[in-house]
Amino acid sequence: MHGMINKSIEDLVTIKFGADKWIAVKKKAGVEVEAFISNESYPDQMTYGLVGAATEVLGLTVDQVLYAFGEFWVVHTASRGYGDLLKSAGRTLGEFLDYLPLFHTRVALIFPNLQPPRFECSDRHEDRITMHYYSHRPGLSMVVVGMLNGVAQIYNTPATVTQTKFKDKGADHDEFLVVWSAAVST
Amino acid sequence: MLNRGQFATLFPFHFVLDGNMRVVDCGSVLLRICPELIVGSNIADHFTLFRLGDAPAKLLSREWVLQQQATLFIFKSRSSELILRLQLVILDDPERFLFLGSPWVRNATELKSLQLVLRDFALHDSTGDLLQLVESTNTSLRDATQLATRLEVRNAELKQLIDSANAPILIIDSAGKVADWNKTTERLTGFRINEVIGKQFIDTFVVTESQDDVRRLLLDTFAGRSGGNMEFLMHTRDQRKLLAIFSASPKLSIDGSVAGTILVGQDITELGEYRTQLEKRVADRTEQLALANEELSRVMRSKDDFVSAMSHELRTPLNAILGLSESLAEGVYGNLNEKQVKSITTIAESGHHLLSLINDLLDIAKIGAGKMELEWLATNVDDACQASLRFVAELAAKRKLTLQLEIDAEAHTITVDQRRLKQMLVNLLANAVKFTPEGGTVTLSTKADMSSDVVAFSVRDTGIGIAPEDLHRLFSPFTQLDSKLSRQYAGTGLGLTLVLKLAELHGGSVLVESELGSGSCFTIKLPWKNYSSSNSDGDARGEGSPVEASAAAGELANSPLILVADDNEINMMTVGDYLVAHGFRLSQAGNGLDAINLVREQSPDLVLMDIQMPIMDGLQAIKHLRAESKYDDVPIIALTSRAMVGDRERCLEAGANEYLSKPVNLKQLLSVIHSQLDARRSK
Repeated sequence: MHGMINKSIEDLVTIKFGADKWIAVKKKAGVEVEAFISNESYPDQMTYGLVGAATEVLGLTVDQVLYAFGEFWVVHTASRGYGDLLKSAGRTLGEFLDYLPLFHTRVALIFPNLQPPRFECSDRHEDRITMHYYSHRPGLSMVVVGMLNGVAQIYNTPATVTQTKFKDKGADHDEFLVVWSAAVST
Repeated sequence: MLNRGQFATLFPFHFVLDGNMRVVDCGSVLLRICPELIVGSNIADHFTLFRLGDAPAKLLSREWVLQQQATLFIFKSRSSELILRLQLVILDDPERFLFLGSPWVRNATELKSLQLVLRDFALHDSTGDLLQLVESTNTSLRDATQLATRLEVRNAELKQLIDSANAPILIIDSAGKVADWNKTTERLTGFRINEVIGKQFIDTFVVTESQDDVRRLLLDTFAGRSGGNMEFLMHTRDQRKLLAIFSASPKLSIDGSVAGTILVGQDITELGEYRTQLEKRVADRTEQLALANEELSRVMRSKDDFVSAMSHELRTPLNAILGLSESLAEGVYGNLNEKQVKSITTIAESGHHLLSLINDLLDIAKIGAGKMELEWLATNVDDACQASLRFVAELAAKRKLTLQLEIDAEAHTITVDQRRLKQMLVNLLANAVKFTPEGGTVTLSTKADMSSDVVAFSVRDTGIGIAPEDLHRLFSPFTQLDSKLSRQYAGTGLGLTLVLKLAELHGGSVLVESELGSGSCFTIKLPWKNYSSSNSDGDARGEGSPVEASAAAGELANSPLILVADDNEINMMTVGDYLVAHGFRLSQAGNGLDAINLVREQSPDLVLMDIQMPIMDGLQAIKHLRAESKYDDVPIIALTSRAMVGDRERCLEAGANEYLSKPVNLKQLLSVIHSQLDARRSK
């Protein structure tokens, strides 16, 4: 898993709940990494362990943690690391989402070991788009929901994200419908 | 061939110049960010050429441009930060020069300042890839810087922790040299870290006698094994010695290989000194204790000897008193008048009282010394109770008391020392009889408690009772609760003490319930060791039914010859007179050696052998006789006043057929003599 993901979990817990909670989460997950490097690859199990420990330490459900993490990742962590680059991916929420597949393709080129997820777009409209999410990592669809909402926030565009297909219910991939206010986005 | 639209999409930053270097065409994105690049304007008015000397002037020269087909053109905007990296394409039309390329941007900030987005670039353009790579790398660099800062902080914390630990901590490298040690080690040894780094640890700092052990410890850890704990002495700057106990563990390098040893210790110098002092004190104390033990053993032996001697000294004259009283009462020395009989009865009663006192004292002394050994036997409860009642039956009848026995059929058998059980019951019964006024009732009852596996023996009376405030003194030795009572009722004051001690020796207890004026109930609770069926081999009738003396002596000449060996003339006379009175012939010896000689000379039918005699004691004499086969079947009855644990066994082991303790009950002696003679005859 991309180190930035673990780093984002750390930031989320530290900023929103306190440094002592992060120490507790790491201890509970049995993670001894002093600090994560964003573009290093870490075992997926470590990330799942951190999420699981966070649910116990913070008293949240897994979905709550995953959603919060996805949103936080975009709004804080990625914006800090890739802030201008993210914004340069498009002038509007729609443009950004349309650019998202290319962004992940480049990640896969730059970091061949990371195995990032693949996105596809379809049904592009002025106020909506359908995002298709393909990943070999199970159980992370709520992260995507949080991320998409986070992207809407950094573009100051109120949006609703609805998952329309579920891989864990038998679909071949997860699918999300993002609808926003065209007046704001354009 | 590309149409114009396709070309514009693929090359959004292109422009075309004519032979005079004037703009003929321009890509849409380029025109958006550089709107002054209008058709017909001279390119040199908008851009300069980077790193091409006086190129701006030359750029006007068509001939020069034609020669630069292999050159990367870097156009710098005169009005903004825009830099274009372009490649010249010579078209078929010699008056047209096509420049293809895109802006040079090194990061997203520059991209933003040029009002560009990634979508402005053609997909084949690697600018987007480059920017993402750069941003990723920058992010990693920031993370690494942050990590380095964190590690520095952590390192400082760790160093502070190690230095503030009140324990010597050392790192020895794989060459056995000191690589580091903490402030505590500096303080304890007096050597500063800068003085010791690089010095051989063992040779420089470890005392000679510990060097081999420490070398093995380091080798173990170099081999990746945890070396465990080791105590050794280190040199200090001021020539003292530091005694510390160290635990050793391998120090791993970043690639996982062993780079040295970490020693974490504890200063036990003071502890060592204290230990030495303590060992000396322990040794001194042990020596003192050994001496004290020896003295105690000597005192204990003296006490035993004293008790034994006192027993002997008291019983010997008592033997004479009781024996002669008995003989006198039976008219062995002629008929007595009524007054004489009354006097001799009083003498006998007093003697018996004294004997009880001695016996009780001896028993208590034995229990106190842990020398009383119980003979555990499955005992018939009913028989034991009946026998105990018989002991007090005569006295109860005299006092017109009713004796009752209530047996719980469940408690048929109990495993106890039956003699001691009867001793306890007789004590309680005698007390009850003694303290119950005429016409009263004394009841002995048993009760089985299946749940706690206990049998309770209760002696209940309708006597004078005991005040509650006196109950706690009841089991103290020599206690009779009212001094008037001690005059009114005979007793040693040891009975209840003995009962309690015997019960406890059985693992049991004694309870008392009493009401002043209404009577008392004493209950002995003994562990049952339950037997499902009666397998009692106890003889509960033996003591309560002494064999009657036989006065039927035969003709003197044919009567059995008894050799009495005793150094005490009174005893000799007492027993001798009694035996002669009952028709035996008598032979007498004053010591063991005389006894052997007389046996050889006279071949007596039975020998009564006192044990404590001068010249040769009874045990030696018995052994000598038994060594001669012709005297194998001569019954020998051992008599001793010692009555100590093991006496009986020693006598029987030496070869005696029977053992009796002085003072001897003469009727009992007579019974034993008869049974031994009968047994010999029946062989």
